[in-house]
Amino acid sequence: MSEPISRWSAVETIGRGVRAAPALRTGFGLTLAFALVGAGGRVVIPIVVQQAIDRGFGPAGVKVGVVAVLAAIALVVIVIATFAQRTAVARLGRRSEEALYALRVRLFEHIHRLSIADHSEERKGALVARVTSDVETLAQFFQWGGLAWLLDGTLMLLVAGVMLAYDWVLAIVAFVVAAPLAFVLRRVQSHLSRAYDAARGRNAEVMTQISELVAGAETLRAYDAGPHYARQVEAASHERSNSFIRAGTIGAFLFPSGEVFSVFTVSAVVSVGVLRGPSSGLTAGAMVGFLFLTYRFLEPIAEFTEVLDQTQTAVAGMRRVLGVLEIPIGPPEPEHPLPLPAGPLAVTLDRIDFSYRTRGDSDEPPVLMGVSAHIPAGQQVAIVGETGSGKTTLGRLIARLADPTAGTLLLGGVPLTRVSNADLRSRLTVVPQEPFLFEGSIAANLSFAVPGMSLAQLHDAIDSLDLRDWLDTLPDGIDTEVGQRGSQLSAGERQLVALIRASLVDPAVLVLDEATSSVDALTEVRLARALEWLATGRTTIAIAHRLSTAARADRVLVLDHGRLVEDGTHLELVQAGGTYARMYDAWVTSTSAS
Amino acid sequence: MGEGTTIPESRGRLRQAFRLVRALLRHHKRTFFIAVGGASVFAACTVLSAVIVRLITDDVIGPRFNQGTVSARKVVVVLGALVVVGFVRAAGVVVRRTWAGRTGWRVTESITSEVIDRVTLQPVPWHRHQSTGDLITRAGVDAEAATAVLQPLPFASGVVVLVVLSSAWLLITDIPLGLAAVAVFPGLIALNIGYQRRVDRFYNTAQEELGALSAAVHESFDGVAVVKSFGAEGRETERLAVIAGRLREARLGAVRLRSTFEALLDGVPTVVNILLLVGGAYRVRAGEMSVGELTSFIYLFTLLVFPLRLIGFTLSEVPHSLAGWNRIRELLDQPVVPDPALTLVPGTDGSVVLRDLHFSHDGERDVLSGVDACIEGGRTVAVVGATGSGKTTLLHLIAGLVRPTSGTVTVPVGGVRLVLQEPFLMAGSVRDNIALGSRAATDAIEAALAVAEAQFVHALPAGLDTEVGERGVGLSGGQRQRIALARALVRQPAVLLLDDTTSALDPTTEAKVLANLRAALANTTVVAVASRPSTIALADDVLYLADGRVVAHGRHDELMQAVPAYRRLIEAFEHDRAALDADAAARLP
Repeated sequence: MSEPISRWSAVETIGRGVRAAPALRTGFGLTLAFALVGAGGRVVIPIVVQQAIDRGFGPAGVKVGVVAVLAAIALVVIVIATFAQRTAVARLGRRSEEALYALRVRLFEHIHRLSIADHSEERKGALVARVTSDVETLAQFFQWGGLAWLLDGTLMLLVAGVMLAYDWVLAIVAFVVAAPLAFVLRRVQSHLSRAYDAARGRNAEVMTQISELVAGAETLRAYDAGPHYARQVEAASHERSNSFIRAGTIGAFLFPSGEVFSVFTVSAVVSVGVLRGPSSGLTAGAMVGFLFLTYRFLEPIAEFTEVLDQTQTAVAGMRRVLGVLEIPIGPPEPEHPLPLPAGPLAVTLDRIDFSYRTRGDSDEPPVLMGVSAHIPAGQQVAIVGETGSGKTTLGRLIARLADPTAGTLLLGGVPLTRVSNADLRSRLTVVPQEPFLFEGSIAANLSFAVPGMSLAQLHDAIDSLDLRDWLDTLPDGIDTEVGQRGSQLSAGERQLVALIRASLVDPAVLVLDEATSSVDALTEVRLARALEWLATGRTTIAIAHRLSTAARADRVLVLDHGRLVEDGTHLELVQAGGTYARMYDAWVTSTSAS
Repeated sequence: MGEGTTIPESRGRLRQAFRLVRALLRHHKRTFFIAVGGASVFAACTVLSAVIVRLITDDVIGPRFNQGTVSARKVVVVLGALVVVGFVRAAGVVVRRTWAGRTGWRVTESITSEVIDRVTLQPVPWHRHQSTGDLITRAGVDAEAATAVLQPLPFASGVVVLVVLSSAWLLITDIPLGLAAVAVFPGLIALNIGYQRRVDRFYNTAQEELGALSAAVHESFDGVAVVKSFGAEGRETERLAVIAGRLREARLGAVRLRSTFEALLDGVPTVVNILLLVGGAYRVRAGEMSVGELTSFIYLFTLLVFPLRLIGFTLSEVPHSLAGWNRIRELLDQPVVPDPALTLVPGTDGSVVLRDLHFSHDGERDVLSGVDACIEGGRTVAVVGATGSGKTTLLHLIAGLVRPTSGTVTVPVGGVRLVLQEPFLMAGSVRDNIALGSRAATDAIEAALAVAEAQFVHALPAGLDTEVGERGVGLSGGQRQRIALARALVRQPAVLLLDDTTSALDPTTEAKVLANLRAALANTTVVAVASRPSTIALADDVLYLADGRVVAHGRHDELMQAVPAYRRLIEAFEHDRAALDADAAARLP
């Protein structure tokens, strides 16, 4: 597990869960009361049968009138009970749906506000799972397990009460004979849980293999490896069937065990009843009533084992959800924000350290160590370094997508932690390495930067970056759909959209994380041109992957394993013969055709 | 699954269900009927248990509590029968559940295999017309959905047996009261079916909304950097909340319907039972029935309530299963596209000859319009051209992955290996990924890795046996490219096709890889799409593509002299740097 998981017990988890989703608690007592009344409807038959036999079918003859009066009372009880049950089910369902909705929205809000440090690649899937599948385990629980607790729980309580009222000796006999069932069920249940866990694991394996077989179709075809991998998937699918069948077989023994215990319990009750006879105050009606009640009592038990399992799953899901809500939200808003000065802004780095937070206790090795630099307003700076040197992270810190572990960042002389979020976002903009586009039109993606912009303003921005000729090549111009994650556009075109989007904010500081993916020549030219327009008059910090960008900058900062090792102009650094000079030589070799 | 066609969803439900089940059970009839047998035993024992309740009431409790005595032998016999019937009934459940599960999963397995075989058989052009996600859904989720109806079906069949046997027993016990009880069954079944149908609509909507929510959440969290950098956290939360709200509404609809019907499905049979009791009182007074018979009557009726619900439930699975089955049939009913590799003309030496090669996607604009070229064996050729000039398509044609619209490709068939632009690694070890189903010796793999400059593999936690792919260690683009290159090299191809395979490598490493390739592949024909001048310069010849044709084929320096368009393309890159150098020089004090 790559995400923090709270270490609370089940009871604590439920308590905290209820506090996180207070709708669950509202009026729960009343719901319980309705359920109890509703359960009354399900003990009507045994009681009426008992009463009818004892009062209506005596040895003296059948008194139809008595039976009719009993039936009339029973009908009234059933109507009330039916209504009460309906109310209980509806209340539980409504409250839980409201609670889950609130919980989901809380999660969206919280996760969006987490530091980017908590949004690492490995964690992304886990975060999505928290708001989808984990909340879904809770939803499933409330739809089935929770309902069963409510209805069957109250029923068993009521049945036990009626049994005790009829004859406490027989009731005790019934409970004692039936009690081992609970142990048997728990035993089988734990086997069953494990068997289903294994089966689900197999299922995930099959799904992974299928998706690879499909996604890698070209590769497999190019290497004639299709049949080999197809056999592999089929073997995995066979194993999956085997493990589900195994789990199913265990389950098949679990359910009828209630049946087996019922017949033993009934036999014991009848035997003891017959032994004691009428002299003990028992009646024929009570005996028959007991027969019915025993079946009623044991009926839900087998189901309960499944419910218990579902409850465990739900508690585990809740625990994971709470674990996410526990992560403190990343860069917190200042309580007393300071305004940023007007005009261009300088950026100052003062002994910056940073490491990513990860799985619980152990920290990853630091990504940045003691980085200091002053970037005057309006300067064009390129940060270079090999993969893993920390240059992308440094860009993120400057944009306050995360806060440094130690050290201070100043923007226009104001500590970044004292700048309000709204102020920061209107003065500083990031163009990420792989710009993310939402499914929708180009116009919609542009408007994402500043909602409510007119179409004319969008077009102005496109013109100001000299990208009209590019837009005209698109089938529907600004209304062109970009597809999922922008897949209908090339990587370079996604960059173009991101540049226009950034220009709409008109920031004083631009943090540009350059793309690594290769871009065709024409788009390359357009990107360079647009970038030049965009950078004019702004403090620009480019996380450069291409040395051409570095060569073009006013100043180059060279990072190596998290430390700032060189700082100067392109030419100075080339002549200095250090890290940068080596990188530059390699680049020159690669771009020379002769 | 030999049975060929999709089942129209408009026909009567029972008929659809019947056709679907027959198609599904083609190879698994025996296991299914064992399950049905178990369910029938259960049904018979349920009725028998009602008979025993009568015996307990009339022959055990009655004598003891009304007359004062009962023979011990009688008690033992009756209770013994109760236990025996209980055990047999439980055994019926075990058999039914076990074999129902067996049937369902074996059928799923057969369907999955059939889909997998077909997907593997279909060549690349067919795959290009499919959505990856859709295929995965069909092979996984749909195969399971199609068989979902098989799980409850044996029980439902048993319920039919139960209804028949119970009706018989009720009628034997007392005809008028039996008729009254039996008359209620259709009503109860109809109530169940009606409920299931209506509630399913809400569940289906909820399922769709859940899918939409998952997709939106995925997108939103993936784009979290953008969301944050534009301060759009609040807006995004609202957008997602709207979708979550729709999910809640669909679920609430189900809750409303369900609370009412659940209560009715409990309440209505109870009411009927009470009325039967009153009717029974008359029959007992008339001497037509014993108290035990009436008790057994009431008891049996209470036992029927749950099983009757199963018929509604099973029928409600039919549309889902049918939809899954039809989606699978759609896939399987598509004809197998002929393998484009069969159009390759086998050559005798290592040369690659392209004759008047045309290619277009779906008959639209030509990607290649008349490519002619002869690449001699053992030479290294760089394919150069602007984006969209058809470079990648050309390689795919030579590899036999796609079929030319017209023209021929002559290659040493079976000896061509292509390294794709975006390398695909399968889940598994580095070794598995390089062998990819073949039996490559460790020495050969090591040699290939050395040529591909992929020594980083040795630094991985378990070396060659380190897991990569989706759940393995993360590799950079350059590392993936080098593993993919080794995958081709280990097969010692006669023709090696490289589609910008070194694009993600840093220049130093790239230069090393290219030098290694030259040294190691003296006899191999290499056709490489290239965009870096340094890569291009290392080739023997350049094939310059523009507008779907070969504009020039010759040495790089010759082309630089003779072909202005080519020169401009190459210079675009060099210019960039030269200008910058000059620019930077000018700024020196």
